[in-house]
Amino acid sequence: MLAYLARRVAWSLATLFGVMLLLFALFFLVATPDDVARKALGDKAMPEAIAQWKANHGYDKPRVWNAAAPLDTMLVDHLRRLLTFDFGRSDADDTPIIDRLRAGLGPSLSLTVPLFLLGVLASIGLALTAAYLQGSWFDRSTLIACVLLMSVSLLLYIVAGQYVLGKVLRWFPISGFDPTPAVIARFLALPVLIGLAANTGQDTLFYRTLFLDERSREYVRTAYAKGCSPAQVMRRHVLRNTLIPILTDLVIEIPFLFTGAIVLESFFGIPGLGAMTVEAMQGNDFATLRVMVFIGSLLFIAGQLMTDIAYTLADPRVRLE
Amino acid sequence: MIRRRRATFHRLTRLSVVRMAVPLLVLGLGGGCTNNPYPDADETAKVLYVAFSSPPKTLDPQVSYTVIDHAVTGNVFDTLLEYAYLERPYRLIPALAAAVPQAQPRADGRVAYRFTLRADALYQRDACFGIDGSGRTTRPVAAADIAFSLARIADPLVGSPVVDTFERLHGFKEFSQRLLAARNADAAFAALRPDQQYARVGGIDGVRVLDAQTVEVELDAPYPQILYWFAMPFTAPMAWEAVATYDGRNGRDNLADHPVGAGPFRLARYDRLSRIVLARNDDWYGIRHPEWQAPGAVYPSTGEPGDAADGLLAAAGRPLPFLERIEFRRDPEQVPAFIKFMQGYYDTAPILRESFDRLVHAGALAPEQVARGMELEKTITAGVYYLGFNMDDATVGGAAGEPGRALRQAMSLAVDADEFLRLFANGRGLAAQSPLPPGIFGYDPSYRNPWRVADPAAAAARLVDAGYPGGIDPKTGKPLRLTFDVYDTSARGLLQFQFFVEAWKRIGLDVQVAASDYNRFQEKVRSGAYQVFLWGWVADYPDPENFLFLLYGPMSRTASGGPNTANFADPRYDALFLRMRAMENGPERLALIDEMQRILEREAPWIPVYYPEDYALQFGWLANVKTPSLSLPYYKYLDLAPAPRAARRAEWNHPIRWPAVALLAALVAAGGIASRRRRAGEVAS
Amino acid sequence: MIETHHLSNAAVVLLLALAGALAWWLRRDPTWRALAARLWQQRRVPLFVVGLYLLIGMLDSITWIGGRPSGAPQADLVTQYQPRSVIDRLFPADFRERSYSAPLATTELSGDLPLRFPGAHLLGTDILGRDVLLQALKGVRIALLIGGFSGLIAVPLALGAGMSAGYYGRRVDDAVFFVVSTLSSIPTLLLLIALVMVLGRGTLQVCLALGVTSWVSIARIVRGETLKLRELDYIAAARALGAGDWRILSRHILPNLLHLVAITFVLLFSRLVLSEATLSWLGIGIDGSWGQMIDQARDELARDPIIWWNLSAAAAALFGLLLSVNLLGDAVRDALDPRTLRG
Repeated sequence: MLAYLARRVAWSLATLFGVMLLLFALFFLVATPDDVARKALGDKAMPEAIAQWKANHGYDKPRVWNAAAPLDTMLVDHLRRLLTFDFGRSDADDTPIIDRLRAGLGPSLSLTVPLFLLGVLASIGLALTAAYLQGSWFDRSTLIACVLLMSVSLLLYIVAGQYVLGKVLRWFPISGFDPTPAVIARFLALPVLIGLAANTGQDTLFYRTLFLDERSREYVRTAYAKGCSPAQVMRRHVLRNTLIPILTDLVIEIPFLFTGAIVLESFFGIPGLGAMTVEAMQGNDFATLRVMVFIGSLLFIAGQLMTDIAYTLADPRVRLE
Repeated sequence: MIRRRRATFHRLTRLSVVRMAVPLLVLGLGGGCTNNPYPDADETAKVLYVAFSSPPKTLDPQVSYTVIDHAVTGNVFDTLLEYAYLERPYRLIPALAAAVPQAQPRADGRVAYRFTLRADALYQRDACFGIDGSGRTTRPVAAADIAFSLARIADPLVGSPVVDTFERLHGFKEFSQRLLAARNADAAFAALRPDQQYARVGGIDGVRVLDAQTVEVELDAPYPQILYWFAMPFTAPMAWEAVATYDGRNGRDNLADHPVGAGPFRLARYDRLSRIVLARNDDWYGIRHPEWQAPGAVYPSTGEPGDAADGLLAAAGRPLPFLERIEFRRDPEQVPAFIKFMQGYYDTAPILRESFDRLVHAGALAPEQVARGMELEKTITAGVYYLGFNMDDATVGGAAGEPGRALRQAMSLAVDADEFLRLFANGRGLAAQSPLPPGIFGYDPSYRNPWRVADPAAAAARLVDAGYPGGIDPKTGKPLRLTFDVYDTSARGLLQFQFFVEAWKRIGLDVQVAASDYNRFQEKVRSGAYQVFLWGWVADYPDPENFLFLLYGPMSRTASGGPNTANFADPRYDALFLRMRAMENGPERLALIDEMQRILEREAPWIPVYYPEDYALQFGWLANVKTPSLSLPYYKYLDLAPAPRAARRAEWNHPIRWPAVALLAALVAAGGIASRRRRAGEVAS
Repeated sequence: MIETHHLSNAAVVLLLALAGALAWWLRRDPTWRALAARLWQQRRVPLFVVGLYLLIGMLDSITWIGGRPSGAPQADLVTQYQPRSVIDRLFPADFRERSYSAPLATTELSGDLPLRFPGAHLLGTDILGRDVLLQALKGVRIALLIGGFSGLIAVPLALGAGMSAGYYGRRVDDAVFFVVSTLSSIPTLLLLIALVMVLGRGTLQVCLALGVTSWVSIARIVRGETLKLRELDYIAAARALGAGDWRILSRHILPNLLHLVAITFVLLFSRLVLSEATLSWLGIGIDGSWGQMIDQARDELARDPIIWWNLSAAAAALFGLLLSVNLLGDAVRDALDPRTLRG
């Protein structure tokens, strides 16, 4: 088992490395260092200013291969800085990236965490009940409701939500954000509601399938034969045994809680990490972009590794040769 | 078993309904059920609320060039000169300077301007002034600070976008080069503070500090428009202490985020991506020295003929500023921002195309809106939107000779600017006949460009002259194919481009829109691989040179990276331009401008489409608004009445609670019915 | 000379042939027959709806140049040189007004000028005067391409990677895990934006980008299934009998994966079509898609008088297709997933 884990860790590191390489390649396919400089300085910048800017930010070196000094390339710089967590400054406006991360983390989490928790509560609750009452009107109407919810575009939810709830009924502010605890809920209510509407359908159906799956197993029939009440069966056996695949699914989501909900943040003016990432992409801010992706992938890979380890420890059947 | 199942069934159903309702109710109640985005404490304060969509890039006045940057720097940094608020045509008045200087001719055709600063105009209070250990928090603005700003513009490390203009200063370029050389030669030099470096290298020759309050600026050749640049933040005095302190190291702020100016407001809060707050600067010379009655610190008593009737002179003679605070809030999408304006949460907003019909009837505000206290302000911007041709192109450009010219003229005849305005701007704007907009010397309201009428028949005839009868390219036997290069991939943008494509389709030309991102577009432009493009230009300052230079040969984009994206190069036009640009306004200058316009009319390197007209909406509680057609700071002139605003907001924003109550009632009823049925079921069995 | 519309016509014929071949190959298989019967019995309406959409999509893909455009006075001269599809030809050639008009109206929306085709615009016209019904119909083909074509790119990739990972295990599994993790870690939107910027904005490019970014989640599931299948007795028996890896994979494992593939393809279809609206908002969508119509029209909700027909048409068309596909997908999953028993 140790060998298995060691292999997994090694491959995880390789994945991280792969992500950093891919990011580098992708970005410089899309934009050149000159483009980055011009976005930062403005179109009217003189060639000397551009050259100076590139020198300051380390973009004047050869990209991948430097015949004179093999380690003095942008690629090596990029890898080294990420691995040593030396995030540096944004290409767009020279603010230290770590400050921007700190500033954006709060707003992002204040949106994604409630959305995540409420979503899990709602979809698991619905799915469990529907699975238990399979075939009844409740199950059928839940199915139809979920399919209906799934068939509408997120953009439409946002437009309709802002229009109906913000403008017509005037329950919530249409957009904006204020982190003071007294009023923060006001601004989050609408994006959270919309996020729930867009995601609950698919999640509920997925969990329902899982629960039905589990419920059809032989040991469940045995439990019934033993005399457990249906509720007990659902709670004690079905829910508990599906916990592992559910948790696996959920744990994968956790890194993305930190990286922010890109579309919702942009539409509702929430200054979180998701909005920051899109801004970095559109503003050719490579320094910020790579930090965002690096952190996201670090969390993701770490999460996967941990689930793998937990899985292996918990379920002896999973251990592969 | 069945009975138990039904019992648990009902219980479970109710539980899940409750489980679903709980999240909703939590949100609703937690939300506090109001749509007011501001804290209650601000209801009675004189706070102005304005929306912005893209975040500022930098607040360094020598670098900032976008509108939102300018909204902050223009109000935080006072400049030597400024514009008289209400007067048109625009007139410069002294601000930090004691008077507007006259040009003094010097030897070799050079010209000098001598500025005398007001004594005892202090900077805003800031910790950076304690850098010398004295513990002081402010100091008077000195002439050396002006020299410092100009030197910063010349410093390649600063990356100022207006280096072109200031190269006219005597010794400007040489200073840059000396600075660069010294930095490259000596690492110890490069580690010095910027102001020390400039001093060691000797400063700009043409900028001489004569004493603590006087600075003289010398140009290599006459350029009367230079005075307009001294009304822009680029030349605002910059404290060396601020540059030395705010270098972004060791947890200190960056200069781009921490402006230290001598203006009527100071930056109180800077959450770049969501909220920017300007607060009254009590150290401003206008507040500290009301006895000076300085023109820039007192509300003007003269303006245009209609101003008195509009109530714009009511505050004449009163000391500025009136506002306590200005709150900029970020709203990246236009529609939500506008809705908040209609709810009273922004004090002013540009009008939206979509809501135009409801708000404006026959050019005036609808009566319902007037009853709500709304006011409409129309301003024709000193700017022009135009379709340009790449004159280097073989098909549409000058290289194609007479057929090329006929083609351009034909395409010009196909474009109906009034129709465009009707569709995309609700008719707000003036169809353009030439590159010069109203308000700029040389604009002639009675001039009619023969190629700027919408006449498809004449266009078709001109196409025959061009050798493309019916739009067919004789070489391929199919409609002539051209590319329209754009970088705006938004929904609105694509619709506008489609309008032009349809117009040209009608005369038989097959124009393809090639949309790409901004980088790709700039690449295409730099390499000359484009044919037709859409561009806009808004004046930096009110002089025709600021428009006509866009068609000046040596400024061509592909050849020299200049702003002449059409790459237009006509030797006669260029010669006229050189003569006209340094002239004072008068009949001689007008004659030259007229001749230049005639050349442009014949060659048609541009299809001028329209001059945009701004319809700005505001509520009656905001006073003294006269939006300039240039990007000028004017918040210090604004005043507002918080009480009527609070009253209106409350009136307009009652939450409609009945759907929530109804839903809750329905849930309770459903739960009640379910439990009654269960009890009945239990009793029955 | 080969033009793009020749290629598109050829592609349609090819796809039809492929579909026909697939149906022929599966016609004997009892599981698929049962599925077909069940769909016919229980989900007849969604089946018809999806069939209708497919028909419209196909008709819109058969294009040719020529034919006489009906001569309205301002008919533009360029359209007759451009390829027009069967759907295009159901409507007059230059079926445009000046600007907005309400459904079935006889005059323009603002002002009372008479329309060029009074009463003929069943769903009104948009800001440039284009008929909304025609636009919605032309969006069908694009939606089918986005969901179907991208799915067709994603599924083989996922099958290949997932099966190899699950079957061969060890090194191959690690390598696939490597690729999957790498791609999953980068936010999909970023990858899409980068890919489209590099490849350019065009239908094919966007489909390619979508396909390349969506195979990852399917591969994971395929791998899991393959792992389970690999341990089955009859696979071991086949191996003992000397069957090669390729034979086992294609004859034994792949057919058992097809039900999974069918389920995930359907889910993927809706997800991809929905995500196109976000792409349009970001500026990298496909011209003429419903997502672009929604993006163009969403500002119009705030107008007064309110312009609702543009947004509603696109939203309804999108909803109709996705609801039907999801309902079918649900039935497919119930039928093909042997573990879902009736309570």
